[in-house]
Amino acid sequence: MEEKILEILGEHCEEALDYNGDNMMEDGIIDSFTVINVISDIEDEFDIEIDAKYVVAENFKNKEAIIALVQKLLEE
Amino acid sequence: MQFTSYAFIILWMIAFSLYYLVPKNAQWYVLLAASTVFYVIGLKGFPLGLLLTGATTYGCGLYLKRNLAEEKDELSGCSDKESKKALKTAFQKKRKRVQILYIIFNLGLLVFYKYAVIAAPFMERMSGSGAEFLERVMMPLGISFYTLTAISYVIDAGRENCETETDFLKVVLFLAYFPSVTQGPFNRFTQMKEQFEKEHTFQYDRMLRGIQRFVWGAFKKMVIADRLGMFVNRVYGAEPSVVAGSIYVCATVFYMLQLYADFSGYIDMAAGISETFDIVLPDNFKRPYFSKSVAEFWRRWHITLGTWFKDYVMISFAMSGVGRQISKACKNKWNGVGRQIVPIMGTMLVWFFTGIWHGRTVSYMLWGVYYGVIMSVSLILEPSFAVWKEKLHIRDGKVWGFVRMARTWLIVFAADVLIRSVSLAQAGAIYASFVTRLHIRELFSKELTSYGLNKYEFVLLFVVLLIWLAASLLEERGRDVRTYLAGRPAVVRWVCYYGIVLLLLITGIYGGGYDTAVFMYQSF
Repeated sequence: MEEKILEILGEHCEEALDYNGDNMMEDGIIDSFTVINVISDIEDEFDIEIDAKYVVAENFKNKEAIIALVQKLLEE
Repeated sequence: MQFTSYAFIILWMIAFSLYYLVPKNAQWYVLLAASTVFYVIGLKGFPLGLLLTGATTYGCGLYLKRNLAEEKDELSGCSDKESKKALKTAFQKKRKRVQILYIIFNLGLLVFYKYAVIAAPFMERMSGSGAEFLERVMMPLGISFYTLTAISYVIDAGRENCETETDFLKVVLFLAYFPSVTQGPFNRFTQMKEQFEKEHTFQYDRMLRGIQRFVWGAFKKMVIADRLGMFVNRVYGAEPSVVAGSIYVCATVFYMLQLYADFSGYIDMAAGISETFDIVLPDNFKRPYFSKSVAEFWRRWHITLGTWFKDYVMISFAMSGVGRQISKACKNKWNGVGRQIVPIMGTMLVWFFTGIWHGRTVSYMLWGVYYGVIMSVSLILEPSFAVWKEKLHIRDGKVWGFVRMARTWLIVFAADVLIRSVSLAQAGAIYASFVTRLHIRELFSKELTSYGLNKYEFVLLFVVLLIWLAASLLEERGRDVRTYLAGRPAVVRWVCYYGIVLLLLITGIYGGGYDTAVFMYQSF
């Protein structure tokens, strides 16, 4: 699962893979357009629906946070 | 009552003293009282609109809290995955229905007041104190700001991204908090609630830092923005056929700086006042004119408005049923462009609303559409730009960075002509003057000093703009100017402090022929 998420993320924003900070959106690494496209691909790949309430900076602060979010939604 | 008035300073001093004298758990009541005095007496605002929004926000929050609790209750007694999903959907539908009603009601109030479609003909028939009273009821101060702030709370409460408030007065304080009620920034409930409820102890250094930021904001507003405004108003107030294109270029550049100095000055003053109460307001500006693209510019200019539209319009649209359907239908079409359709539609929606939020004229709508189109086009062309950059062997560096910055200034420049002009016809005439009669020589003739600023004023402007630029460059390099100054030798430090205060006292624009009382963003 992790590999697939990283693959999707890298496809849209390579910089995000090397980012080690904790606010990817504020640091200008990933913008809302990219987030929307990443979500769309993750939803298709894992057959889940990411509700708007999860689309907050905290869940997209770095690649680990995105992986944790998907993990959580898959377990629900 | 403006931040720069004696009455406000007295209110601030009284509130500040009481704040640290009353028991710690009652400190937020002092802020509520100060906010009430500021709104009702200071701004002569009739709080009917504010209270209506406050009451509906509070009520809607309570409903959402109960609905979410009931949902959790019922879900805990349900083991089947399908039934859980159906239950969730049913509760979600109820929440959405109430939220939509709430938003329609409050946006309706905003549209009613702001556009005064219904109020205008009625008010024209009124006169005297009746009209004045009605105007205050009709045009609640800060409605554009507190309405969006309130909506953010209700959406966040429904998304479970913020705790729901059970104390009505705290909701009112959140909406009416006096440093930010008239021009923002747009606060988020969670951050403000935590700070309102925290126990605050007096700290001399913090008070000093707050006052420093306030004075710096006043300096930007009264020494820079109001001085630039004198020139801009005269040029844009003149008959377009008699003004050279080069003078319009100068006036528009001044307007770009005026708008920034005015609004960021206000935000600095608001944040400084708030800091003395140990309440941190969110950042609203991060030196936007250093941006290398328009998208970056808008991530650094009026940040809280941008994040508001991103979180509650763009994301809501993209994650809605309609957004998802469009995304699915277009995703693999048109050679990769299809996947950008939803972000583009979201961008256009955001910019259309940003335009009409800023003003009720066609110029503002066009201004919004202009930025929406630029952002969308750059989104589509981004991959091509990268290819061309590679082909032309353009390397990232200082020169390329400056070219990109200049491109951003040019785009903002063109947009600002549109919103500063009094009509579309004037804007058209000004654009034409850049091509047909630029007359650059007039910039170096007496013509330049015939628009309200003499040569000494220009020299002064140059000096204060340099001071502002130096401070911005320091901040751009990650230094906090106040901390930096605090670490300098006492002589340097106090020369800077006294220098700014003296410049403010001696060269600040105080009343007279120019109305300094009004901040530009107050009218949005």
